[in-house]
Amino acid sequence: MIRQILPSLLAGAGVTLQVFALTLLLSLPLACLLQAFQQFSGRLLKPLFRGYITLMRGTPLLLQLMFIFFGMPYLGLTFSREASILIAFTLNYTAYFIEILRGALGAVDPGQAEAGKMLGFSRRTIYFRIQLPQALRNAMPAIGNEVLNLVKDTSLIYVLGASELLKAGRSAVNTYATALPFVVVGLLYLAMCGGFSWILSRIEKRISYY
Amino acid sequence: MKSRKVWMSLISLGLLMMSGCQAKTTAQQDSYSTLQARGKVVVGIDDTFAPMGFRDENNELTGYDIDMAQAVSEKLGLTFEFQTIDWSMKETELNAGNIDLIWNGYSITETRKQQVAFSEPYLENRQLIITLADSAIMTKDDLAGQSVAVQKESSALEAVMAEAELAAKLKNGAPEEFDTNIDCFMDLEAGRSQAIVVDEVLARYVMKQRGLDKYKVLDDNFGTEQYAVGMRKSDATLLSKINEAMQACVEDGTQAALNAKWFGE
Repeated sequence: MIRQILPSLLAGAGVTLQVFALTLLLSLPLACLLQAFQQFSGRLLKPLFRGYITLMRGTPLLLQLMFIFFGMPYLGLTFSREASILIAFTLNYTAYFIEILRGALGAVDPGQAEAGKMLGFSRRTIYFRIQLPQALRNAMPAIGNEVLNLVKDTSLIYVLGASELLKAGRSAVNTYATALPFVVVGLLYLAMCGGFSWILSRIEKRISYY
Repeated sequence: MKSRKVWMSLISLGLLMMSGCQAKTTAQQDSYSTLQARGKVVVGIDDTFAPMGFRDENNELTGYDIDMAQAVSEKLGLTFEFQTIDWSMKETELNAGNIDLIWNGYSITETRKQQVAFSEPYLENRQLIITLADSAIMTKDDLAGQSVAVQKESSALEAVMAEAELAAKLKNGAPEEFDTNIDCFMDLEAGRSQAIVVDEVLARYVMKQRGLDKYKVLDDNFGTEQYAVGMRKSDATLLSKINEAMQACVEDGTQAALNAKWFGE
């Protein structure tokens, strides 16, 4: 039985990992950049940032997925399934990462930036070389939470017909008329999240150099 | 003050864009020539509906409807590409043009007729009432006060709700709704639901897998319905072509062979 269901479940896990990896690779750097813009932007741009973050955090990700794939064509923008998934996940997770970074940057001693200024560094250098590295280190536990959430949030893409792990499990449950595939699905999620938490804790140790 | 003005104008611009674009989808055209030029027709299916459409141990799509669609595609000379969709989004996917056909044990109902065009029916299906083998429920009337499970947004649900008087007498005044039909079966076995209403085609398949002696099928049912292929109302040419091809499948014995392969009839 396990041998029969495993190929489709592993294919589903592959889709899950793909969405996970691409979203993470896009959203974390994007959040670092946008946070810089937010910090240096004037009064006109700030409400735009706040609006974006409110929108992303204030509506369900499932709804955002549906809106981008089914709703945007009405506004003249048609995206493929894959693109819609990536856009929705990246926009959503970037918003959360920006908020995490904002908090972590606030916890960095203002003396650090002042010292940088005294030494004649540009605002960009101060942000990327002095403030951001320290903020990222402080933010690791919170980022880790989001990373594990992301693994599990990928199960929402079923709504666009994508066969991720949970959907593959449901399909197998239907085909073989037993709930066993769900147990395997659970174990696969656990293994993925276990692996990622291990990697995260290694990174955390590596960067806590003082 | 200034920023409030900016926001108001942005919001009104957004609303304007949305209202302006609503009109676009209603003016759809017959897409047959476009499909021919593209060389393929996208068929929307739900791969969680054994035995009509599901995945085998190699993760390949298989099932009665997949075989049937392939036979029709050969007769039409068009390639069919299968796109898995979420079943609750099927009409949205169709009318947005993401898929061209809904072909997956799609029952003809009055509500759906308002949104999609149906081909000629190709399979009959009853809405069976199933209980555990030792249940005291014998007739439809015995369902009063009992908890009855159905798949959400399914024709089983519509069939139960159509008998409003009976539906109101169920426990909680309505059937319990689950994501998939298998969830209904599991709820029945867990003893939370006393009966389930499901498509006969799927129910026979599931009962064979889980053990026929565990269940009892009542003589009463919630009516007969027909499976057909759904497409956009604007696609009149595609509709007639599909009907012709399906008729040919009946005449040359293709469909009889499929019935024997999947249902052993």
